[in-house]
Order: sequence, then structure tokens, then C-alpha cells
Amino acid sequence: MRIFAVLLTLFLTACGAPESPVVVSDVEITRPMPGRHMSAGFFVITNNTKEAIRITRVESPQFASIEIHESTLEDGISRMREIGELLIPARGSVTLERGGKHLMLMRPQEIDRSVTLHFFSNEMPVLRVDYSFTDTEKDQ
Amino acid sequence: MRLRNLFVAIALALTALAGAYVASRTEAPSTPVSALVLPAANPVPEFSLLNQRGEPVDQNVFKGQWDLVFFGFTHCPDICPATLQVLATAKKTLADSGRQVLPRIVLVSVDPERDTPEILGKYVDYFGDGNLGLTGTLDEIRKLTGGLGIYFEKQPANGENYNVDHSAAVLVVDPDGGFHSLFSGPHVVDSYVHDLPIVMGGR
Repeated sequence: MRIFAVLLTLFLTACGAPESPVVVSDVEITRPMPGRHMSAGFFVITNNTKEAIRITRVESPQFASIEIHESTLEDGISRMREIGELLIPARGSVTLERGGKHLMLMRPQEIDRSVTLHFFSNEMPVLRVDYSFTDTEKDQ
Repeated sequence: MRLRNLFVAIALALTALAGAYVASRTEAPSTPVSALVLPAANPVPEFSLLNQRGEPVDQNVFKGQWDLVFFGFTHCPDICPATLQVLATAKKTLADSGRQVLPRIVLVSVDPERDTPEILGKYVDYFGDGNLGLTGTLDEIRKLTGGLGIYFEKQPANGENYNVDHSAAVLVVDPDGGFHSLFSGPHVVDSYVHDLPIVMGGR
């Protein structure tokens, strides 16, 4: 019940409070490239609360499926694994970037100029992010 | 007066030293900072693959130009496109600086199951004109990668998607079709812009 209350508070305050408990910044979503059916999402997600938050699922109307992945480069070998969730420490942040954690957005649907991401924690919505592509934006 | 002459002499000497230093800094560098040049180039092993137009090619496709060869796959979300973008940017930077000899960018798929010639073609074309994509059977790809010390391994499917672990190095192949040198990841544009003229010019 307590977690429900916390998450509900997060969701409500994220929608309009002056200081949102969860903030996403520096968002970059790559356009699906020719020959590919997937994109990648990069951003910094910050938790302004006193408790750690787990992002367990991300959805988007513009993509059929989204997974949370992490790429590593060790001993000259590039690897990528699904990590299942993002753990954002209390009053801390997690950076999703090339060569590290990122969203893998698969099977794009109708994409015009914007992408909406819905973040969930244990099936509760906690944040919505709207991202618009710019004309000069490079896909990768 | 003698003291004044001494000051003049010191000033002249310092000026000469400064000039020599500046000259040394502006001369063409002669040592790669990132590329590892092999003591002797090793011929690319024999193979039979398809280019992005579906045409059969073999090891001779590497003869006649310098090649930057990367092993990756089109479903790779960040490392592969980021590496190819680094190579494309470095190539453009060298072209803009007036370099006449420019390398070709080559992507060898380590995921032939999904990377058909058509898909690979759209992908490599995105990073510029004149790029080469190679795909084919797993056995033939392994002939090429095995002979060059390149590792790749398909990972168990995770949901609808699977990943392929692979070496991140970019190999430089000389116009005789010899594995000449390599850049290890992570890849940075400045390293290529600095090293490629040395590597290609020092042949």
C-alpha cells in the first residue's frame, strides 16, 4: 500500500508539480535507420525522492516493444544484455548512453515527428516523456 | 655592453628554440597514437561472401584500396552505428582536409540470419557512398573472421530479440589485401584523423 501511495504521488506530481520527483533530461531517441526495425533511447533519469525507484517497464505507442539493455566493451568484445530494470538511487540519477545502458525500442509503428515514452515501476505509471525529432537531427 | 650582448644572445637562442619547438609540433606526425601496426601485413584469408547487391565476392574484394573493416550487425543498437559513424566522420574530415587517398568503410555482418544483402545495403549506404557490406553463410563468415582473430557469438534469444557478441576492433586492410593494422575500441574520430594518414602513408 505504501509503495502504491509513493508511486501514485510520483505519477501525480510528475504530471504537474513544480519539482517532479522523477526527471528525465538530455533525451535522445535515434530514428529507425534504413534496414532496421529498432532504435535506441538515451537520457539521464534523476530521482529527487528519498527512496530508490525501479523503472521496470517502458512503453511507447510508437514502438511495439521496448527493452532496457546494457552494452559493455570488455577485453575488446562488445556485448549487450537485457537488464530488466533501471534502479535509480535515492536523490541520484542514472545515465543511459551509447556504449552503456539504453532503451532498445523495437518494431516502430507510425512515427512522424515525436515519440512518447511511458515509464512504469511495478506496473504503476511514474512518468511520461514526450520527445520530438529535430530537422537537423542525426539518427545516430 | 657585454651584459647587453649576453641578453641579446640569450633572447636569440630562446627564439630559435621556440621556433624549433613550433616547427616540431606542426610537422606531420609520424607515429600513430591509437592504431597498432602489424610488423608485416597478413593476407586476408580466402572466403566467399555476398556484397550488398547480392553479388559474390571473395578475398580479392579487399585489393585496390585501403579498407576500414568492422564486424557488426544491423540490429546492434549503439556500438555498431556509433562506430560506423565515427569512421564516416573521420573519412569526411580527411576528405575535407584535402586527403586524396581515403579508405573504404566495410561492414562484415556477424548476423547473417537477419542481415540480408538488401538490409545490409540500406544500412551501409546510410553512412556514406562507396561503403561495402558483406554477408553470407555463417561458415564463410567464420573463414574470414577466424583468420583475422575476430570473435563473434550469437547469444540465446531473449524474448523476440537476440544479440551477437563481437569483437569491437576496426581492422585496416591495405591495397594488397593484407591485414595491416587495427584500431581497438572505443573508437574516437580524432584518433582516426590523426593515425590514418600515417598508417596509409607509411606503407
